[in-house]
Amino acid sequence: MSEQVTRPIRPRRPRWLDVVGVLGIAAMGFTVWLGLWVTPPDVVQGNLARLLYIHPAIATVALYWAGGVAAGGSLLYLWPRTRSFFWDRLAASAVEVGAVFSALTLVTGSLWGRPVWGVWWTWDARLTSTALLLLLEIGYLALRRVPADLDVRAKRCAVAALLVAVDVPIVHFSVDWWNTLHQGGTILDPGFDLHVHGIMLWTMGLSFVAFTLVFVWLLGMRYQVEVLQDAVGDQELDVSLSERWSEDAELVGVAGPAAHGSGDAP
Amino acid sequence: MRYVDAGYAAALATMVVYAASLVVRRRRWERALRMSEPAAEPEGAPVRGEPS
Repeated sequence: MSEQVTRPIRPRRPRWLDVVGVLGIAAMGFTVWLGLWVTPPDVVQGNLARLLYIHPAIATVALYWAGGVAAGGSLLYLWPRTRSFFWDRLAASAVEVGAVFSALTLVTGSLWGRPVWGVWWTWDARLTSTALLLLLEIGYLALRRVPADLDVRAKRCAVAALLVAVDVPIVHFSVDWWNTLHQGGTILDPGFDLHVHGIMLWTMGLSFVAFTLVFVWLLGMRYQVEVLQDAVGDQELDVSLSERWSEDAELVGVAGPAAHGSGDAP
Repeated sequence: MRYVDAGYAAALATMVVYAASLVVRRRRWERALRMSEPAAEPEGAPVRGEPS
């Protein structure tokens, strides 16, 4: 077991994380206010377009931010020069937070799809690959709970996270590779021309900022839980080992003289 | 509007519940870490396994 694991550090919540949390909550409140009360209904979709102020931002966090941090952290752990349990814990935290956002992507998308498409769910390439992403993330989290040495667990999970990351470009390009019910680029077209304007664009932009800040905040909090979890496991291992050693020492102390014949034997 | 309200409610409620669960988990693990730490022994006390 490496040195950094045997000497656990009790994490303190950094000040910047609190600042990010407050900013994220404020931005989220502002997004909800703009999205529900200030922006006008869409010409085609009416009020249902208001769901598009949160759904794309949630999907972006689930797919690119969480997927990127998980894949990057796992690669940096697997690379011998940068190997550190920091990257392993960061990747694990990103996968769990990403799973929450993936589930929310499916829920908010489904709530939009029911009135617009007429169905809660369809086996469309974008929807199916997103559901697969959630299943892979749950699989990763299950794998992480399998008891193993920390280094073995970290390597195993890093490989699993890279397998999860394979699905990210599939989700992204699914609307181009297959004929899908899900629309293609909503904000930008391939020529980078904007499809959204005015207060709708600002609200959408703010929602991306808000969900990104909330993601960073949740990721930081989840990382601290991960550090504590490992520290407790390690501390318990130390206690068990020291108890075992002292028991062995007592046994040797009792059996020693008789074994060596140095007792009361005539 | 009920689909819109449901979408916003689901998103906000999920994030609030998840953030609260992280706070609870953090406190639980902090308590577990405190309990698993060996208690500080007074100076001069006999060390376990050695004759007093």
